[in-house]
Amino acid sequence: MSTFLASGPNLGRGGIAAWLAGLSGRGKALVLAGEVVVMLVVWELVVGVFGWINPVFFPPPSAVAQGFVELVQSGALAANLTVSIQAWLTGFAIAVVIGIPVGLLMGSVLPVDRIVGPIAWTIYATPTIAYQPLAKAWFGFGIGPVIFLVTISALFPILLNIAAGMRTTNQSIINAGRVYGANRLQLYRSVFLPSTVPFLFAGLRQAVVLATIGMVVAELAGSSSGMGALIIRAANTYQTDQAFAAIAVVVVWSVGMTQVVTLIERWVAPWTRKGRR
Amino acid sequence: MSVTSATGTNRIVRPRRVVRTGEAKWGLLLFAVVAGIVLVWEAAVSWFQLVPAAFLPPPSEIIVAFVRLLGEPEFWAAFAYSMTNVLIGLAMAIVVGVVVGLAVGWSPVLRFTVAPFLWLLYSTPKVALAPLFILVLGLGNESKIALVFLLAVFPIILNTMEGAVTVSPSLVNAGRVFGVNGVYLGWKVIFPATLPYSLSGIQRGAALGFTGEVLGEFLGGTGGLGHLLEFAAYQFMMAEAIAMVIVMVIIANLTLWLISALRRRLAPWYDDRKIVGAS
Repeated sequence: MSTFLASGPNLGRGGIAAWLAGLSGRGKALVLAGEVVVMLVVWELVVGVFGWINPVFFPPPSAVAQGFVELVQSGALAANLTVSIQAWLTGFAIAVVIGIPVGLLMGSVLPVDRIVGPIAWTIYATPTIAYQPLAKAWFGFGIGPVIFLVTISALFPILLNIAAGMRTTNQSIINAGRVYGANRLQLYRSVFLPSTVPFLFAGLRQAVVLATIGMVVAELAGSSSGMGALIIRAANTYQTDQAFAAIAVVVVWSVGMTQVVTLIERWVAPWTRKGRR
Repeated sequence: MSVTSATGTNRIVRPRRVVRTGEAKWGLLLFAVVAGIVLVWEAAVSWFQLVPAAFLPPPSEIIVAFVRLLGEPEFWAAFAYSMTNVLIGLAMAIVVGVVVGLAVGWSPVLRFTVAPFLWLLYSTPKVALAPLFILVLGLGNESKIALVFLLAVFPIILNTMEGAVTVSPSLVNAGRVFGVNGVYLGWKVIFPATLPYSLSGIQRGAALGFTGEVLGEFLGGTGGLGHLLEFAAYQFMMAEAIAMVIVMVIIANLTLWLISALRRRLAPWYDDRKIVGAS
């Protein structure tokens, strides 16, 4: 992010821009935190104090905070969050367990790549929401369709990224390995796998976001429990403050799991770019 | 190929298919495998009855349902309804997304102040807002168009922004040397250089916009492909439901293919691999 902020073709001309670019990491964080506070205050003023927007449709931050407290006190949050997390983790685990071996197989065996690849791309290109009614008809109204949608959302980014990673392994490193007499197994162990790991984690990060979307979609469109059901119930009873609070929890989950993936990457594979940051 | 790019937008670039004599063999093999799967499916369901046909109808039934569907005026009305909403929402998202993306990508001040929020919103599961949109805008077209717009706009902004940031400074300087400035510089140098990035954002945005439309139809209203699909599944007409899913798979893949073709046409000097950068 910091390198992204400090690059571009139009840099070093404006006064504010130069000042911002020259700030330390801590200074930048402070400026951003200040912005967040200003935005929250403006939001609160516009909706809560002046009432320019109907607070039922767009509740101010204080009401959302109150809605959060209500959700926690009534126990609705804990009950629904448990169901959602359970479905999410199960679906994600299935996707990882299927995606990694199949991806590795696609990356190392050409015929598999040529056959599974086009099929996987075709399914991946279609928004997973299209499969939701089928899942509902097959697995009933419980947690089943949610797990199915999470799995199918998370599977393809993992699988296709790993396959792409194996395929783009630097040829000169492979050659170097061969020169030093590495056999097939050693070549996989010390050349292909390490260079695929960054792709694996890029795929996992993508999968986290898509899995969360799949989970919310499945729960919104036909589930009696879970965060999506909580959101739609709150919205339908005009308790939008609670709906916003529940949405915020989903956002925190999505961002949090992305961070967890990054942390694992930093720990398992410190040689990758993301890990070094 | 997937890379975490400067803005953190993860993308996989579908490997470009190069038609060579060797490739025809793979195409044939793929066809044979798919045909084999269909055959096993048909055998398992309708000959050996391993799976109840009510749950998983055999391919022959699905094909019949598919053909019947294409003959129904009701289907085409639903198709027109959904596609109109998606196109309106997507058009708005493209205009807003490209303008905002160019502005934020070009101005370091905006990039510093606004980009982190855009990035946060980009990675937020915005589908969760769908019930609120329906609450505010009703069950009609407006809520669906708004949902399509909301879901489609962020990938377009983020990708355009990334494109604008990576415009080569020497191009900009060359333009300035020739006295090109202001809006004209944007139009002649920044916009064309950013275009392929915007198009890959639009590709992602189109898929997400389609999700928004279908979700909006699931949650309320009585028109569109999503509604037809939901209705068929609800009535447990599985052959019709699977035929509808196949329709959606075709629409989604056709859209992506069209935009890829557009990108190759409008920006032939760019290679997919170059957009992602060597990493």
